[in-house]
This record gives sequence, C-alpha cells and structure tokens, in this order.
Amino acid sequence: MFEWLLSDQMVGNMLYVNSLLLMGGIYALMCLGLNVQWGFTGLFNAGIAGFAAVGAYTYAILTTFASGMHVGGFELPIWVGMLAAMIASGIIALGIGAICIRLRADYLAIATIGIAEIIKLILKNETPVTNGPRGVAKIPRSWEHLADARVAEKFPWRLFGEPTAYEGFFKAWYPLLFMLTVVGFVLLVFLALEIARKSPWGRVMTAIRENEAAARAAGKNVTRLRIESFVVGAVIIGLAGAFYAQQLRFIEPTNAFDPTKMTFLVWVMLIMGGSGNNRGAVLGGLMLWVIWSGTELVIRFGANVIGDVFTDLSPSVLVTKASFLRLFLIGLILQFVLQRFPKGILPEVRPAALGRRTNKVRD
Amino acid sequence: MKKTLLMSAAALAFASVASAQVKVGNPMAVTGPIPDLVAPMVDAVNLAVAHVNEQGGVLGQEYVMVAADSGCDPAAAVDAVTKLVNVDQVSALIGPVCSGATIAQATSVAIPAGVVTLSVSASSPAISTLEEGTDLVFRTAASDAYQGVALAELAMASGISDIAVSYAQDDYNAALAAVFAEAFAGMGGTVTANEAHEPDKASYRSEVATMGSTSDNLALFAYYGSGGITLMRNALETGAFSTFIGADGMLAQETIDQIGAENMGNATFTTSASDPTRNAFVAWSALADAAGVPASDPFVANSYDAAFMMALAIEAAGSADRDAIAAGLRAISGPDGETILPGEFAKAKEILAAGGSINYDGGSGPQDFDANGDVAGFFSSNVVVDGSWSATLLK
Repeated sequence: MFEWLLSDQMVGNMLYVNSLLLMGGIYALMCLGLNVQWGFTGLFNAGIAGFAAVGAYTYAILTTFASGMHVGGFELPIWVGMLAAMIASGIIALGIGAICIRLRADYLAIATIGIAEIIKLILKNETPVTNGPRGVAKIPRSWEHLADARVAEKFPWRLFGEPTAYEGFFKAWYPLLFMLTVVGFVLLVFLALEIARKSPWGRVMTAIRENEAAARAAGKNVTRLRIESFVVGAVIIGLAGAFYAQQLRFIEPTNAFDPTKMTFLVWVMLIMGGSGNNRGAVLGGLMLWVIWSGTELVIRFGANVIGDVFTDLSPSVLVTKASFLRLFLIGLILQFVLQRFPKGILPEVRPAALGRRTNKVRD
Repeated sequence: MKKTLLMSAAALAFASVASAQVKVGNPMAVTGPIPDLVAPMVDAVNLAVAHVNEQGGVLGQEYVMVAADSGCDPAAAVDAVTKLVNVDQVSALIGPVCSGATIAQATSVAIPAGVVTLSVSASSPAISTLEEGTDLVFRTAASDAYQGVALAELAMASGISDIAVSYAQDDYNAALAAVFAEAFAGMGGTVTANEAHEPDKASYRSEVATMGSTSDNLALFAYYGSGGITLMRNALETGAFSTFIGADGMLAQETIDQIGAENMGNATFTTSASDPTRNAFVAWSALADAAGVPASDPFVANSYDAAFMMALAIEAAGSADRDAIAAGLRAISGPDGETILPGEFAKAKEILAAGGSINYDGGSGPQDFDANGDVAGFFSSNVVVDGSWSATLLK
C-alpha cells in the first residue's frame, strides 16, 4: 500500500527536501552569527564571506588528504576540524575587533568589507598553502566519510570493528545524518543565543545598540563588550563555513565565497526574517534558501506547461531564458516581504524587564 | 474559458510526465560570469537533442534535456544538480561548464548518487582523478594538461630556450601555467620567472619590469578582457619583452585592435581547435550552419558531442539506468567499431540493433576516452596576419 513512498521519485523528493534543510540550516547558522553582531549589538559586519572562508579553509586543510597541491595531509578528525574552524574565525575576529571595533556603524562596514577582501586575496595568492584559485577538493563530509580508512582506524571508531561492517550504512544514510547534525547545531546555537539574549549580557548589547553613550555612562566597558559580540558572531559564522565546505566538498576563493551570494544574501535573510530576533534569523535563512532554490523548479514546471500548450516553443530554451527571470523574481518577493513586514517577518521582541510582570514590551 | 485552458494545461503537463522519456540533466552556467560564452553551447546541446528526436529518439522514447543553471559557482552547481538528480530523476548529466562547479557537483552529489557526469568544457587537470575507484566523470574537452604541453612543444620548436611565465590568478590560467612551466622545464628549457598577477589591474608595469630583466620571452596566461591586454601593452611599452606566447584567453580580435597588428609580430597563442579537414568536422559544421549555431566557437562542438554521445551511450547500454551509462559511454567512444559522424543517430541505432559496435567521431575531435574519462584534443597556433588571427593546426 505504501510502496509509492519508496519509489525512486519519492525518495528523490525526500532527498531534495533534505538538501533544502541542510543548506537552509547552514545559512540559518550564518544568520544567527550575524544576528549576534548586528541584531543584538548593532555591529555592521559586511565581511561575512571572509569569516566563512576562514572557517571553511581551516576545516578543509586540517581534514583533507595530502594532495601535493596545498598544505594538508593532517587528516584530523572531522570534529577537530570544525572546532579549529570556529577558533580560527574567532581569533581573526578578535584581531580585527581590537583594531576596528571603535568605528561607528558605516565605518565598521567599510573596514569589514576590506578585511573580507584581504582574506580572499590571501587565500587566492598563497598558492603553496591553499592551492590558490584552483581550490581545495575532496573535503570529507560528516558521516559520509566515517568508514574511510583514515577515520575508521582512529579512536574512537576503531572500537567499532572493521569499517566494512558499517560502511554501507553510512554511505546510504549520510544525507539524513548530516542534515540532522546541521539542524541540531542550528537548534543548539539558537537555544544558547536565546539564553544569551535574555541574560544581562544580552541586555547590555541592546543598550549599546540603542544608546551607546548611556551604556558607557552606566559604567559598562562598551569596547570590550562590542569585541565580545563580534567574536561570538564570527565563531558561529566560522562553524557555518566548515559545514559549507563539507556540503560542497570543494572550495575555492572566488566563486564559492562571492560576497554577493554570501554576505549580501545572509544580510537579506536576516533583515527579512527579523533582525534582533533569533527565531527570525532561523526563519529568514531557511525561507530565503527555499525560495532561492525552489524557484528553479517552479520555473521549470512553468516552462514545461508553456512548452506543452504552445508546441512551437521549446521548454529547454524557455528555461535558459528564465534563469535570468529567476533572479528578478527573487528580488520581487523580497520587495514584497519588506514592504509588507518592514521590521522583518518576526520583529524583535524585547525580554521583559526584571521584576516587572507586565508582559513583553514590543519595540 | 480560463478554467478549461488551465485544466487542459495541467492535464497536458501530467500527460508529458506520464509519457516515456529519457531524461538527462544539463546544468550549464547560464547566468554567472560567462553567459555570452555559454549561450551558443546551450544551442548546440538543444540541436543535438533535436537531431536525436527527429531520428526516432533514444530507446524509442523522447530524449529530453532538463536544463538548469549552475552559474559557474560551486554552491549553485551543487544545488542545481541536487534537484536534477533527485527531483527530476535524470539518468545522467552533461554540461557543467566551469571546472570548480564540475568538481563540486561531482564529488558532492553526482558521484555519491552514482550518476555519470559528462562535462563539456571543464578543463582543470584535477578532474582527471576525482574519486578513486569510480568511473563516473567524463569530459569532451581536453584537459589543460594537454594544451600546456602542446604550448611548451611549440615554444621549444620555435627556438625559445628561456622564458618568463606570468599568469592571471584564476583557476583556468593558473592551472594552465603550472602545466606549461613543468613541461617546458622538462623539455630542457629554463623558466626564469613564474609569477601570478591579479586580474583587472589598471597597470602591470611593476610586474613586467621585475620579470623583464630575466628573459626576453613571455608566456602570458590571461583573459584579454581582464587585464591581459593591459599587461601585454605595458610589456611592449617598457620593452621588457619582445616575444609572447600564450593560450586561448588572449585570442580575440579585441587584442589586435587594442595593441595594434604591427606590434603583434612575435605573438603566438594556442587554442583548442577542430581539424577542419576531418570528415566529422565537415559534417558538424554543415549541421551547425543549417541551424544557425556558430560551429567554431569555443566548446560549442564539444557541447553537441556531449549531448549526442549521451544519447548513443544510453542506446548502446539498452537502458536508461544510471549504472549502465558509464559502460555505454566507453562502448560508443572507443577507437573500434563503425564510425558515426555528428547527426547520424538513425544509422548508429541500426548498427547497435544488429549487434554491431560503433565509434562516435565528433566535430571537436575523435572523443576516445582514456582511463580517466579524458579525451585528447587538437590545438592550433595562432599568429596575426593582415590584422586578424590566422590559425595553423598543431599535429
């Protein structure tokens, strides 16, 4: 009775939904990172692609095989690579923060754009380390490569016996497991940031965003707190970068970390979802990715219908032409959402002040 | 009225899904940095599909090319191919244009799903050895490894013994320069300098001055539109170099117009070319001319060949199952068997039905895959004669 559920088509559809949640989750992580910086504290970070690239490259170089084309062959476990990606991104943010964080909003934006470009140029030109524009390939993915000899022979996996015993399982089920890992991390980061938002730390961040002079007058070390927020956001973006490298399995500095498709897109996601609201950040990331990816299917279906009705038009030609329409369509949806919800779909909700029982004060 | 129209449209859409089709995905870089280069390639693919369907289709079914957009971007390519493989359930993939996009979609999606990729223009040497133990990535364009060696041989033959190498810092030119430098040194030549330059700079005087002191000859790997012309002009103005060689990125009328034919006397550039004396090319260009497709534009013939070979491979395999296609591609491309020229699908079907074997000979070359799924290509050397490029085929 339920055989249709196991048909190739249904399994394929499920796998596509899986990939939507996966990429959407990675973007949601980036949005959460940016939300700490911009939503909480008002730091205009226009260098998201740079931090994601630092995370992705750190992960890739530490975990790949020796290729002879880039520094590598460390073959560290996947979780070590991800931890290192977060640390590397955090350290870069700390260095940048110590120098630039005193800049006001728009000047910080210019500084971070510049820094992202510097990171990109370093990755592109340090050919012996990063293989330059030719990129790093064969990046191991969570779960999929657990059965590889280099992973399986190391602790703790060697405790589970010969890799052949579980190789088939992971090769078949890694898409689901990887998606659940990413979604799990989104949930974890979301919960942590919700606690942070309601804590005194989060309130100070809001105070700095709304009125920095007042926060300073209240005795807060504004510079230090701004750096903290910047670093926390960058660590989350670095983690997202490591997941991004795993999903693509190949990274190079020019197209994979194109600012228009990363920095700009993440900004739009956060603004659309609702800046300052963690739920909004997750919603924006998932939603815009589904729109971004799904419009291609919608347009392809439309082209097939048109091609069937007007037999002198070829669907293939229509789809080619419609690829440009797709970008326009996404812009249109964005315009509509921002017109309809100027503060994002889920606007910021301030936590109620301590000791007062009147409910949430809406901004 | 409106409602009936909509309903009949929906019914037709369902009908088309239900009828028998052989679906192949075609994720070309329709948007992104090189749309003008890709447009005729898409036309060539569609032309091949039309020819196959006019001659009875694949396995008696309609041959359908599901177009998608990989945007020359690894992330977009992974997304587009995920949809093609899972939602559209294509039997195989042809197309991914750029090397980075091809590597990402193959290792992330296509290889794990067991789907064959037949790229039309990805030329990075890294593609030869992607995933050990699988035979799933093929291409109809020659690896840069071949062009780099061809260029080194050309330099040697024209009596150059020492040369400075300058390449634009992008995946294509950097890979080509690396192969060239290694091949040239291996043949006994001296590479006096090997430096990257950032594309699109306003001036390259300092780069040219540093390298110019080491040699009079420059191997230039750059795109004419993104700094290549400026670098060459700077080199001529300062007298740093007198002889130039390079690859297809510089090959455009624009280069001659901007620099002046009188200054290009010692400039030779190679490009992947078709041998115009071969029967296959004559057949291809006749078909292309009839359909208004530019037969000699870069990678256009390769695109037609890829789409046509995929149809032949499925026909030879006898099924559109994903795991049968790699063997099918090898069966129809090998050097043995009766020669099939572009457009001769009905003839190929007949031979296959009678149990014979075929060997497709494409407009872009003989298309015989080696163990890595690569093909050897033809290259031409181009010099300026009377203000325009004149090509000589390198044998």
